[in-house]
Amino acid sequence: MRFSIKQTGCGGERIGYLTGFIRSPGAEIETPTAALFTQGGSVVNLTAEVLSKVFSNTKLLWLPLSNSINLETGVKAQNDGVAKFAGLQGHVTCATLHSLSEDTPSGHFELDRAPLWTKNGKRMVSADRYMDVMEIFKPDIILAIADGRTSLNEGSKRISKAVCRSNSMLKTCVNRYMSSKELQKSSLIGVVVGAGNPKKCDESLRNILTHVDNLTGISLQGILDGPEESRDIDSETLKKLFEKVGEALPKDFVYILEGNWNPSIILTAVEHGWDLFDGSYPLKLTNTGVAMKLNFDVTKENDTLYLLDMVDERYKADLKPILEGCECLACKKHTRAYIRHLLNTREMLASVLLSIHNLHHFDQMFYHARQHIASNTFAVFKQHITKQCEMVKDFPPNRYKGSNGTNIPTENQAPNIKRRNL
Amino acid sequence: MVNTSKALTFTVQSECKHSRARVAIMKLPHYDVQTPVFMPVGTQGTMKGLLTDQLENLNCEIILGNTYHLGNRPGVDVLKKVGGLHKFMGWNRALLTDSGGFQMVSLLKLAEITEEGVKFRSPYDDSEIMLTPEKSIEIQNCIGADIVMQLDDVVQTTFQDYDRIKEATERTSRWLDRCLKAHKRPSEQNIFPIVQGLLNPELRRKSAEEHITKDVNGFAIGGLSGGEAKDDFWPMVSLGTEILDKSKPRYLMGVGLAIDLLVCVALGVDMFDCVFPTRTARFGCALVNKGQLNLKQKQFESDLNPIDSDCECTTCANYTRAYLHCIVSVETVACHLISVHNIAFQMRLMRTMRENIKQGTFPKFVKKFVNEIHPDKNFPTWINNSLLSVGINILED
Ligand SMILES: [Zn+2]
Ligand SMILES: [Zn+2]
Repeated sequence: MRFSIKQTGCGGERIGYLTGFIRSPGAEIETPTAALFTQGGSVVNLTAEVLSKVFSNTKLLWLPLSNSINLETGVKAQNDGVAKFAGLQGHVTCATLHSLSEDTPSGHFELDRAPLWTKNGKRMVSADRYMDVMEIFKPDIILAIADGRTSLNEGSKRISKAVCRSNSMLKTCVNRYMSSKELQKSSLIGVVVGAGNPKKCDESLRNILTHVDNLTGISLQGILDGPEESRDIDSETLKKLFEKVGEALPKDFVYILEGNWNPSIILTAVEHGWDLFDGSYPLKLTNTGVAMKLNFDVTKENDTLYLLDMVDERYKADLKPILEGCECLACKKHTRAYIRHLLNTREMLASVLLSIHNLHHFDQMFYHARQHIASNTFAVFKQHITKQCEMVKDFPPNRYKGSNGTNIPTENQAPNIKRRNL
Repeated sequence: MVNTSKALTFTVQSECKHSRARVAIMKLPHYDVQTPVFMPVGTQGTMKGLLTDQLENLNCEIILGNTYHLGNRPGVDVLKKVGGLHKFMGWNRALLTDSGGFQMVSLLKLAEITEEGVKFRSPYDDSEIMLTPEKSIEIQNCIGADIVMQLDDVVQTTFQDYDRIKEATERTSRWLDRCLKAHKRPSEQNIFPIVQGLLNPELRRKSAEEHITKDVNGFAIGGLSGGEAKDDFWPMVSLGTEILDKSKPRYLMGVGLAIDLLVCVALGVDMFDCVFPTRTARFGCALVNKGQLNLKQKQFESDLNPIDSDCECTTCANYTRAYLHCIVSVETVACHLISVHNIAFQMRLMRTMRENIKQGTFPKFVKKFVNEIHPDKNFPTWINNSLLSVGINILED
């Protein structure tokens, strides 16, 4: 895969292209952009048929091993990569150990192995084992295995271990990468860890620089350890971190930020040269019954909240679409009242329609961001979006806090499901 | 007569020369439905996570909604405001709603049936509610389905008390009159009476004979598929189609297994509904001619075949059994994918039957089908007897 920068804006923001995917030769991904978050290899809530109605172009799929390791036997039997196995051939994939937005127990690391928290419990994964899976999964982009799940206020001892472990695991990944023709069809991404401790973070950056010839980019971890609370980080701290990492590493790297950050933080990262995001934000909204409707028109003041709690009684008889003028399938055909009804009756179509809208809308945000970068007005756009994000400080409601991951009906929903089948 | 005839015209195109099977076009206000037809059940105004566009691609021509559920959520006010269920769910083809009576009796232990109607406690706010025939039709008029069902007095199929069955059967006829009287939109909606009488031939005959005297455009056969023996089931279906007007559609409620569809089409039934194909999808079971594949089973772990290589659905075109095995009961997408296949399976079976009836090859098709399921020719008696009763001998080659 090649990353080429087409244009840079006034700040660090830039428009780039990912091309030259060896397994999908014609594919082209314009950055900055967000991947589509997958679970079990599928874009959450969307079958390949529905996905093709939502996006006609090639998309980048975000593939955490924590929710897809169970595909291994089948992918291996088919021997054509994970995207093909999941019915999504034609799209490109980026594999990683886990989603940074998942809530998982902390710690449990061993000297040379990282815990993989799957639906069926913990599995310890060494760098070698990780690269074995990558050889089978054949993703287009591989994030190196790392100990990146530490928060900014993590103790220095824990951070020190995380940096040390990640360095040694990166070394193994690079060695495996260099000695495998199959793996070289993918691009390898280094992972920056230990952001909570400046000295240790420097060490992580220096280590990545030693492998610079074999890496196509970096992902910045070591900021979050999962729980919702660790996301309460002020944007100044993050800005400094983005600056520091950006200055230490080559400009022609692809810069990746994981985690379900809100649009304001995402655009702050874009402003500092970040290119790729993992797409967990729209999924989090969908999982909590929330629809997003940012106002992208910088010439119009916005005075309504950009998040709609679609479960709310107020939409019971609201015959408007989620967002008037939205070109998505959900908005072109369905009303807020219908979506609210589907949520209220716990029907699966609720998540499908919310996914369709939220993914489309989130994608539109990046489209507008690129437009503004191209016309040197990105700062205005970013401020316009940030203002809207500041209006929703106390949203979503408390009952949604901490809800993440999948929306598989749980045991306690069973009576409801039974009833609706009758 | 002038009014009601507009909401449904039933035109028989071909009839099987041996059995009672026939192909027809049932022209409804929202769609021209080809029968025999299977109607998937979309209880609360949606079908197992599928977009209405997908249902159209699957060639669904008519689907079901449940009056009881829809009357509660979103409720009559919302449905009125939006202009009916078609608009609410974005479905332009035909709809059928049940009366709500069945749900009430089967869901709610506290239901009490009197001459006036069904009295029950609302599971939503615990208030006491009376569902009368008039109320049921009022809600169904508001939902606006092309076909609506009369409120019937529901007794469990395996119930034994003759007096109660007799009462229920006769009351159903009295309630039919009240439903027809209460019907406000006869030019846009058709009320179908329900033939009752459980497994009692005399009561069933009386019920059917009474209903054919009414000014209606089609009939339903109810009170079956409730756990009775198959040998008891098919004669009741046969009795119904024998008496009910041949020029009008006959709908057998709650039946949807492939073999049941096959036999009952041969007996002259035109319409079917069943929650089974979509419900079983939820548990990872995919329909095939011989029954179903439980994709959870380990044997599919490395099986790179589609569910059914003869199936033209988007699931079979794009996904292997091995992949579905990995995601069943983990990802909601699995449920969507298997639902798509299972609905496609039902639609294909009905289409194949229609084609064979038109080409005069229906008996041959029936024989091939049952022999595929029972290659040892060890046919259950009910299959053998029912088909023999309409002139298809599956034992002869
Ligand atoms: Zn939309
Ligand atoms: Zn299929």
